[in-house]
Amino acid sequence: MTVAVFFGCAFIAFGPAFSLFIFTIVKDPLRVIILIAGAFFWLLSLLLSSLVWFIAMKASNNEDVRLQRGLLIFGVMFSVILQEVFRFAYYRLLRKANEGLAAISEDDHSTISVGQMAYVAGLGFGIMSGAFSMINILADSLGPGTVGLFGDSQYYFITSACMTLAMTLLHTFWGVVFFDGCERKRWWVIAVVVCLHLVVSGLSFLNPFYVGSLPPVYVITALMAVWAFFSSGGSLQNLTHIWTCRRNNMDSS
Amino acid sequence: MGPECAKLSIFFIVSWLCNGVRSNSVEQKIYVLLNNTVPCVRLLNATHQIGCQSSISGDTGVIHVLEVESDLDWVLSSGPNPPYMVVMEAHLFNRTTMTRMKGSLRVAGVAVVIPKVGPPQGFSPHNSCPNEGSGVYSSSYGPELAGCNTTVWNPLGNGLSYEDFSFPIFSLREDNETEVIRKCFREHNVAVNGSTPQYPLCAMQLFSHMHAVTNTATCMRRNDIQTSFGIRPEMVCDALSDYNVWGSVVPLNNTAKGHQEIQSVVIAAAQLDGRSFFWDVAPAGEGSITGFVTLLAAAHALSTVPEPERNILYTFFQGETFDYIGSSRMVYDMEKGTFVIDLENIHSLLEIGQVGLRSGSRLWLHSDPVSRRNSTVDSEVGKFVKNLKTEADGFSFSFAEPDITQPLPPSSFQRFLRARPIPGLVLTDHQSAFNNRYYESLYDNAEYLNVTYPPSLTAEEQLEHVTETAMALAEVATVVARALYRQADGDVAQLSNISADPKIVTQMLYGFLVQTNNSWFRALLSPEVQNILGPHPPQYYVGVSNSPVNTPTRLVQYILANLIGTPRNLTQEQCQNPEGVEGESKELYSYYWVQGPVPPNSTQGEAYCVRASVRLTKAYSPAFELQDYSSQNYSTWTESRWKLIRARIFLVASRELELMTLGVGVAVLLTSLLVTYFVSTKADLLFSSSREPASAAY
Amino acid sequence: MNLERVPNDEKLNLCRKYYLGGFAFLPFLWLVNVVWFFREAFVKPTYTEQLQIKAYVKRSALGLLLWVAVLTTWITIFQHFRAQWGEVADYLSFTIPLGIP
Repeated sequence: MTVAVFFGCAFIAFGPAFSLFIFTIVKDPLRVIILIAGAFFWLLSLLLSSLVWFIAMKASNNEDVRLQRGLLIFGVMFSVILQEVFRFAYYRLLRKANEGLAAISEDDHSTISVGQMAYVAGLGFGIMSGAFSMINILADSLGPGTVGLFGDSQYYFITSACMTLAMTLLHTFWGVVFFDGCERKRWWVIAVVVCLHLVVSGLSFLNPFYVGSLPPVYVITALMAVWAFFSSGGSLQNLTHIWTCRRNNMDSS
Repeated sequence: MGPECAKLSIFFIVSWLCNGVRSNSVEQKIYVLLNNTVPCVRLLNATHQIGCQSSISGDTGVIHVLEVESDLDWVLSSGPNPPYMVVMEAHLFNRTTMTRMKGSLRVAGVAVVIPKVGPPQGFSPHNSCPNEGSGVYSSSYGPELAGCNTTVWNPLGNGLSYEDFSFPIFSLREDNETEVIRKCFREHNVAVNGSTPQYPLCAMQLFSHMHAVTNTATCMRRNDIQTSFGIRPEMVCDALSDYNVWGSVVPLNNTAKGHQEIQSVVIAAAQLDGRSFFWDVAPAGEGSITGFVTLLAAAHALSTVPEPERNILYTFFQGETFDYIGSSRMVYDMEKGTFVIDLENIHSLLEIGQVGLRSGSRLWLHSDPVSRRNSTVDSEVGKFVKNLKTEADGFSFSFAEPDITQPLPPSSFQRFLRARPIPGLVLTDHQSAFNNRYYESLYDNAEYLNVTYPPSLTAEEQLEHVTETAMALAEVATVVARALYRQADGDVAQLSNISADPKIVTQMLYGFLVQTNNSWFRALLSPEVQNILGPHPPQYYVGVSNSPVNTPTRLVQYILANLIGTPRNLTQEQCQNPEGVEGESKELYSYYWVQGPVPPNSTQGEAYCVRASVRLTKAYSPAFELQDYSSQNYSTWTESRWKLIRARIFLVASRELELMTLGVGVAVLLTSLLVTYFVSTKADLLFSSSREPASAAY
Repeated sequence: MNLERVPNDEKLNLCRKYYLGGFAFLPFLWLVNVVWFFREAFVKPTYTEQLQIKAYVKRSALGLLLWVAVLTTWITIFQHFRAQWGEVADYLSFTIPLGIP
């Protein structure tokens, strides 16, 4: 029966990413390439940060619990900074490759805008980080056991899935906002993104106190969604426009 | 641990996996592995399979701790969360409860908590008539005595060891781990005042999936098919087998097999092995150790006097518990002329059975009523009895013969009688039914034999401390040795010089019952085999054919070689290959390079060479040699193979929580599909900004 | 291969090859033939070779059905009686199940 938990968690963690991929990415090969490359860049950042952490772990005293905790926090913060550095590097790369990418695209007219690239690259980052934080947990969710023998919450699996979902979406939104900031040379935007990433990762240290970590993360996700919406060209006007269109359609039908 | 930390750790798990190190933080959060467990495994013979097995992915059940028999009702009928994993106290592990559980689908498996000391009323999972199908008595040989018709040897035997269970059964040592299980049970599974227990519940999973099935013929056939046709041969079972140990007073030429013209040999035999319900735990204290320790002590006592007229052959048989594997093989070899003597060379035979638990001051000399109908055999047996009785004069015990109509108890001698009416006796401490209340069970251990030491003693002092059991066995050994000497026509004047050393007996008992890693054993073994010694007694289960020589066999081989052999002034190279050295012969003797005792104020003993007429011969049932896997005459026992033996405990989540997770997941998926579809169709409208038409994407 | 771009006589040739190939104890070829040429045989507007293609597809389908029936029967019988047959069944088995009679 723990198959139910497996599928439940998989759907929660990867459902939105999957539907975004199906409806917005898969049709355009260029977007698929950018998505995969984005995921690869995120992997590179992880490789580097884990190398640093590995060296730190080997160099430090294993018995000292406080030092280990400190090292973990340092590792996470370092990893966040590295991820953002790689996001920037990826931005520069995409910017340079823009023309080339347009050339290899099948139909000449469907060149990709920076906003679209930002979204696709962000989703690539999000999917990869989501996969890495969730796959191990998913494998163990198959059972037959569940956590709790050592007093852990029995909601561990579902909260982990929710956290992964939030991280995936956050990476997408951060990608959009970050690229937009780079494009307009608004460096404070980038600073805010890095800070928010640090805050979200820091909140995960509150676990297993899920009430303390999950709601703030979701609040941040919602705010980022709004910001990303506006920064990629959305507006209240558009929303009301669509709403009224629909209303009109309904009325007319 | 949050996603970020998880990511990092996952990366390392991936890299560590490549190095073959398995560690998984999520798994550690869920499972507690139980380390001190022993499973019951599947054994097969010509017609049956016995033992236990789990399904291939392990059997899981909610733990229920059985304290009194009435708790079983919860498991079998009233409990709301079947199947159950029954954790029971040893006193409930009996035929009644096991039979009740056997028929129920609500039992996923059983874990038995084993205490050090057995129940006072006795416990034997063995048959009440051990080895009844393979002894001498049958419809053609003393039919009125066959099948324990006149004497039930092991009346306490409930036969559980010979049952086939379709669920796994593990044993747990009474320690911290069982405490963890009990705590988990109390905290999660105990219903508060009559209500049903709330999820999450504490559960246990047992893995003991057995490859072999049905019977030996089937599993050996599958072995053959696998090796000849399989791409990846996966053997399913192995024959139970090991090695017999034999040694002789007058050296026997190992290259000259078959009948020896001038030899007349008195055989002194004992059995080396035992078993219990669970795999590879067989303390066999009274069952085997008392017998072979007495024989070893007697052999030592005889090594100090001149050789008698007749030769004396000490034999230690392996696998006797499983339809006399060792003795049937030796008899088979004698018949085929592939042993150093043959059956005609045997003058008489004395087997030492269970002799550690004397009730009163009498030991019993059992003989075979059927062969004694022959007057020559009867007179030989009579002489032998007289010899023994004479030698017992002046000791604290005497010999007695049971009723003449009583058959032999289960003994290796029966296999010799099947081939030839050899005059012989079986020496035991019981008149009819065994004195041993824990025959072939886990409790037949040092405590039961009263081999216990004052707590103030160090390990070294314990080794030297002469226990009362050792004194008693040394007396028996002395009498046995003198009687053997007389039986072998030795010089009567030498008889008083023969006496067994209680110190050696106590050292042997300590080594075989308490811990093998002691200074005495270390000194007697060669440096290469020191690794078989450990801080615990060896297990006396016979083991399978493709494993190295069993520890007890090895120990007895070396101890016998040291006790009856002589040190030779040879270098290590010469000792390994004494060919060409003056006065040495590889044909007559085996050469053992032994570590030697460690003198005080030193860390290393002086190793030296011992030569003795002591050798190992295969205790591999002739049935496998003849490829007659449904043999009626020879032992056909095989042990199934398996891949994983594991026990772990964890919590299981409620069905509601699982379905809720699935529901939330499906809802998230559907919602996101809908929303994304909607947004992507309206993208051009939504993101059409008046500010920046260029980025108008969706 | 896109059947749309193949001339009709080529289609017929292909269909016949698949049909004949199926006789070499390769029922999967018939399956492919049926799936692949079903539209050509029964949906497309008529053309000269279609009649023959139709015949081949029908025969392929028949052969396939026969195979399915025979195999299903045999598998059912074998699985049901494997334990009972003992030695014979072990020799007939390619992989011998572990821990099952």
